[in-house]
Amino acid sequence: MDVALKIWRSNPETGERELKRYEVEAPEWACLLDVLDIIKDQVDGTLAYRKSCRMMICGSCGMRMDGRAILACKERMAPIVERGHVPVIAPMGNLPVIKDLAVDMSPFWSKIRAVKPWVDTGYAEYPEREFVVGQEEMDPIHKEALCIMCGCCVSECNSMESDPEFLGPAALAKGFRTVGDPRDGATIERLQMLNSEHGIWDCTRCYFCNERCPKGVDPRDAIAKLGAESVKEGIDGDMGAKHAKWFIRSAETTGWLRETELVPKTQGVVSALKETKFALSLLRRGKVPIPVPPHVADKVHEARLLREVVHAQGRLGAAGHVQGEKALAKLDHHLADDDGEEAQ
Amino acid sequence: MRAAIEAFDVGADVALLSKIHPVRSHSGAAEGGINAALGNASEDDPEKHAFDTVKGSDYLGDQDAIEILCDEAPGDVYQLEHWGAVFSRTEDGRIAQRPFGAAGEPRTAYAADITGHVLVHVLYEQVMKREIPAYEEWFAWKLIEEDGRCQGVIAWDILNGGVKAIGAKTVILATGGAGRLYTGTTNAYACTGDGMTLALRLGVPLKDMEMMQFHPTTLSPTGVLITEGCRGEGAYLLNGDGERFLTRYAPNAMELASRDVISRAEQTEIDEGRGVDGNVLLDLRHLGAEKIIERLHGTRELSMVFAGVDPIYEPIPVRPGAHYHMGGVETDLWGKTELDGLYASGECACVSVHGANRLGGNALMETITYGKRSGAAAAEWALGHTTVTVPESAVADAEREIRTLLDRRDGERPHAIRDEMASTMHENFGVFRREDQMRRQGEIVEALRERNKRVVVDDKGSVFNNDVTQALELGFLLELAACMVEAGIARKESRGAHARPYDFPERDDESYMKHTIVRWRDGRPELDWAPVRMTKWEPMERTY
Repeated sequence: MDVALKIWRSNPETGERELKRYEVEAPEWACLLDVLDIIKDQVDGTLAYRKSCRMMICGSCGMRMDGRAILACKERMAPIVERGHVPVIAPMGNLPVIKDLAVDMSPFWSKIRAVKPWVDTGYAEYPEREFVVGQEEMDPIHKEALCIMCGCCVSECNSMESDPEFLGPAALAKGFRTVGDPRDGATIERLQMLNSEHGIWDCTRCYFCNERCPKGVDPRDAIAKLGAESVKEGIDGDMGAKHAKWFIRSAETTGWLRETELVPKTQGVVSALKETKFALSLLRRGKVPIPVPPHVADKVHEARLLREVVHAQGRLGAAGHVQGEKALAKLDHHLADDDGEEAQ
Repeated sequence: MRAAIEAFDVGADVALLSKIHPVRSHSGAAEGGINAALGNASEDDPEKHAFDTVKGSDYLGDQDAIEILCDEAPGDVYQLEHWGAVFSRTEDGRIAQRPFGAAGEPRTAYAADITGHVLVHVLYEQVMKREIPAYEEWFAWKLIEEDGRCQGVIAWDILNGGVKAIGAKTVILATGGAGRLYTGTTNAYACTGDGMTLALRLGVPLKDMEMMQFHPTTLSPTGVLITEGCRGEGAYLLNGDGERFLTRYAPNAMELASRDVISRAEQTEIDEGRGVDGNVLLDLRHLGAEKIIERLHGTRELSMVFAGVDPIYEPIPVRPGAHYHMGGVETDLWGKTELDGLYASGECACVSVHGANRLGGNALMETITYGKRSGAAAAEWALGHTTVTVPESAVADAEREIRTLLDRRDGERPHAIRDEMASTMHENFGVFRREDQMRRQGEIVEALRERNKRVVVDDKGSVFNNDVTQALELGFLLELAACMVEAGIARKESRGAHARPYDFPERDDESYMKHTIVRWRDGRPELDWAPVRMTKWEPMERTY
């Protein structure tokens, strides 16, 4: 098949940056990585990108296609060619570009190191055999253990874009990898660290990391699980934790979010008082209801039921523990999308 | 990484040097598991493990090395578990073990079908914990030899460009295999046999280089690995007529016969017209969706992405593909090569535990056990020596050499040579080997090496120039190809992965129960032989 694509080329030695179009002949089964190889072999040997396993496990070939982070070895070109689409290939976001599609991963790794990502059993002497741990106790960290450190989630992270110091989805997923491990003995220290500035509560919950992770690790879910573990351990001093706690309390008591109480509960009374004028103007314009008496939703039991469902899921979360199943569901969805567009 | 951790723990000053980030290493693609006689799924002991390995090696494995591997394996796996490896578990909370090819007991400890991934990451966690410095994306190009010792590495810095020298009292090669010699391979692009050629160029011998394992289930068309764990869980291999053809080749072990046996059976079916578009079919459907999703998720994902086949509903098209080099740098039982200060472990080394055919699950185990041993031995040696000398001429010579390559403007680029090498190796030095084809391949490789002396690289820059490293890798591969062909022609028998059904269909213990040894002399391979070290197992006929 004839494949056309555009690549953002950049050369640090000359400072040039340009979007270049390439057209090559590729086999039907080719993925984006195969096409890049053909370009490098036949058109321009200076094209820079990383690759190794070409089977979605080494994590080398993270880049962007049409603005979303992908693994080049995973993206089949045939459906794109059939659509007549010419995709734009660019380096990952939130990381400095070295050359063409290769980015500097050192900021990524320094954040991974910051979460002390090794299991710390706290034992001086190991037992003679393995630790005896049930599969069901290990299941909650299966998705996090799948992470290949490709950087796709970091590339897409909206919070990191505004705060480069934010630990970010990959490091936080790795954080849960140890916090959720029943063999680890440093849970409290870990949670305290992850609750500090640039930690879990700086996540804006945009879910881009879940959406773009090529392995179904669901970093946002890991961050949510870290939040729940923190609250459970009484590590709830951060405004984010207070906010989340009150959110749940409000929903299960009245079925509504009671904004007038949310602000003092999150920010404290003094800080909330400063917002009084703003609150009154909202009230005047009908943007918030009159706070007393609290308005109780007709079907408040549904809200309570929802809380119970989430509670019962525990560490496993809504997606269940089956590793990467969501990534596959996405794959199905992706194929269905292509079919849909073809039909049109 | 396992060697670095051990050397660090012994007290040495250690650094890792890798052309790709350590977690990108191809061990991460190992899926099925790691063999150790833990006895969690049946009564098992290291001696049974050792016997299976000896028999699997077609009696070419060195039995003392195999006994060490099997004895130390359980302790080494427990240690990985204590470091945090996320193994799958039995009902009673022990490390789960599954059956694997040619193993008498369910001995393969696993983490679903991502065992290698889990182990690579747990090792890197331990590297981070120890703050062992890593020179990431430094391409090891030459070894420094001075005063009859290996004293460091000359590397090309991929990120910044430039030739850099790192002095070291000892160097441990752990560069993996050379599957990129072949068109159809499970191996990553990084698997270009670098360490083997680095050693070869210093006159260090390579052992059993003709022994390239063809894995029976590589996904068509790209060649990515479909784990033996599928067959461990009960999958069938079918030919185009829907027949479980292994009834005719390995009636007892069937799909769990050894890899060489199954690859030959598949190739025979395909060659005799009973394949499906050059493949056979791996059928998982009867395992059921639940088992496939839980234990073989990665396999399902690979089949769906790369072949458009969901194994819950359709069989997977597979064929034999180059997978693992049993041969490599000859070492002693502590990973030491013939040259003082130079060690090797893992796939690039040949201790030899795999002989003529490796059992699935033994490769990860070898990297751990012999990685640990070579790390300990190298550290001990380093702590006993004080000086490191890196002659300035070594760096100057390397710089001149790379400059010559970069400055060359007229000529052929390497990719055509690379593709020709890989396709002809597949054709002439594949599952079945003929004398005339091997001789022809020798000539082809010779001609390709001549052409390769005049190649031109497109990228003349410094920053992230992997155009130049890919050219250097091709040089590594071509020298190994020459060694393999040389050894293959000399071994006039069929043993393990070396199958010559047309002229020497039988194993010949009388004349060939010995290792091939290849050294590089005057620009070409020179063949020699070495005895197999035996302890307690006499050769027997090998049937499954």
